[in-house]
Amino acid sequence: MATQEIEVQGHEIRCDECGAILVVGEHLLTARCPYCASTSVVERESTTDRPRPTFIVPFTWSADRVHERLKRWIGNRGMFAPAAFKEAALEGLRGVYVPAWLYGAVGAADYSASIGENYTRVETYTTTDSKGNTVMHTRVVTYTEWRSLNGRYEGWMMDFLVSASEGLKNEELQSVEPFDLRGLRRYDPRLLAGWIAEESSVDRGTCMGDARGEARDRLGGKLAAFMPGDSHRNLRYTAEFSEETAALVLLPVWIGTARYGSKEKQVRVLLNGQTGEVVGRVPKSWWRILLFVLGLLVGVPLLFMGVVGVLGVVFS
Amino acid sequence: MTTADCTRCGTLIEAGDLRCAICGEPTSLTVGEVEVEETTLLRCTGCSAALSNDPDQAGGGCGFCGEPLELERSTDPLEVVEETLPFTVDAATAKRALQAWLSDQSFFQPSDLKAMARLDSLRPLWWVAWCFDADALMSWAADSEVGSNQSAWAPHSGQVEMRFENVLVSASRGLSDAEATELAVSYDLNSVVESPEVPDGALREEFDVQRSAARARVQSSLRRVGATRLDLEEVPGSNCRNLHFEPLLRSLETRRIAFPAWVLAYRYRKVLYRVVISGQDAKCVRGKAPFSYAKLLLVIGLAVGGLMLFGLVFAALYFV
Repeated sequence: MATQEIEVQGHEIRCDECGAILVVGEHLLTARCPYCASTSVVERESTTDRPRPTFIVPFTWSADRVHERLKRWIGNRGMFAPAAFKEAALEGLRGVYVPAWLYGAVGAADYSASIGENYTRVETYTTTDSKGNTVMHTRVVTYTEWRSLNGRYEGWMMDFLVSASEGLKNEELQSVEPFDLRGLRRYDPRLLAGWIAEESSVDRGTCMGDARGEARDRLGGKLAAFMPGDSHRNLRYTAEFSEETAALVLLPVWIGTARYGSKEKQVRVLLNGQTGEVVGRVPKSWWRILLFVLGLLVGVPLLFMGVVGVLGVVFS
Repeated sequence: MTTADCTRCGTLIEAGDLRCAICGEPTSLTVGEVEVEETTLLRCTGCSAALSNDPDQAGGGCGFCGEPLELERSTDPLEVVEETLPFTVDAATAKRALQAWLSDQSFFQPSDLKAMARLDSLRPLWWVAWCFDADALMSWAADSEVGSNQSAWAPHSGQVEMRFENVLVSASRGLSDAEATELAVSYDLNSVVESPEVPDGALREEFDVQRSAARARVQSSLRRVGATRLDLEEVPGSNCRNLHFEPLLRSLETRRIAFPAWVLAYRYRKVLYRVVISGQDAKCVRGKAPFSYAKLLLVIGLAVGGLMLFGLVFAALYFV
């Protein structure tokens, strides 16, 4: 299946398979969706009602480097990867600017928790020795006293990235994070030259929900670190987010497919176009895991017996 | 330089900022993009202070330590001095202050020190620091002894509005933080002038930090000052541990200021010593001088000898 290069003036194509809407540079047009490799992409008029990106994190990994990096990655998947995977062919590798919302807010929490404050006591206890005498001992025992604490916490929270892409779900975006946001640039359409950019296709409300979820989790972590005392338990909090802000940012991601084995199994491979971090869910070969476990079960006792045997010979 | 306040938290946004440094709010396009400029500065080969590139002054060596200077080029956006405080202490007054300081401490100093510390090597220079104002809603939690039962500690929490004013963070590589802190109180921060009179041979230190690093320094200083104030003013009782806090910052405004000082740097037996006199208050002198252990030994010897003599005399009188 060869990629058809077609001439499109409208700049925008839509994939019927996965729903991604892509903006394609004038000289780099593909008739294949970079996310799902489907050929059912439809040219469409660009619409203006979609939010314009505010920022862009430019690609720093070029196609050649990415190829090399991925080849090495494929060859290095450890002993549990299927043998055929080492020979996997890389297909449909494309650099895509993936839309995401950069979210920030004031995170406020009313919390309550039990705070453990430790104290020690010197205690005496008795034992009976071999002659039947009672002997007195002392020991220092640590006790924890639980005190309740309520309070309110407020702080700026920022740098949450949530995918606004149909093609690359938020979990997948999280897997290639982090992006170094110091590399953020103001969006300039000229930076898209030679790349594919996806339009934000997930509605903003859904993205904000995802973002608040991530913020809530981070707030919980911050609160856990915020608690005084020697320990704490029963930390409960209500999280509210105000003064929210969200800016659309385009993130550089290389997307490709590794195809391997006689059944042409596919694994989606992602590479962070800024940091070069590679992610892909490489299947485990159960056959190989079984072999390994069997090897352990047989090998370790054998080794043990061998060592004992050698020691026995040495010391006898 | 185009500047504006962040629409969300009121912090000063600077040219080229894409987002507010405090709250992350994207800035509008009108807060212009900055073009990258190449700057040149003089780098001290000894203490690595960065001094403004003035070819007339390059030959005199570094004002902080006297080592030679080298020309350095950079395209990184560095912090730039925005306000300069003028010298109100002239050379003659500074010399008198130095003389007074030297004679005040002279007993334990080596006898040849005065010869080494030539008064004419006293040089005027500006050192640099950030000075910030901010409002912060501080949420805190800590343990203190107040309300404790069995354990020595009981948990407390609270929220308080704090105003930070004119908090100084030294950016000087030439002066130590301790020197900067002691000098800081002697300056009138409202005495900024457009084009200050430059005394003969004056050097100006430059900020040698990129903007992001500068902000990290300012914020960590704010945290330090905030922690001290919470401990003193908010956490009940006199003992405190596990102090955690989160500042919700607003209206952070940072000024980049050059502070005038008279500096005498000299070497005594290969060790660097320095006396710094505030350029705005001749009474504010901070210095370190070599210490003569020979003289100290002599004094101890004399004291012990004297005591022994006294004991002998006393014993003699007692037994006679």
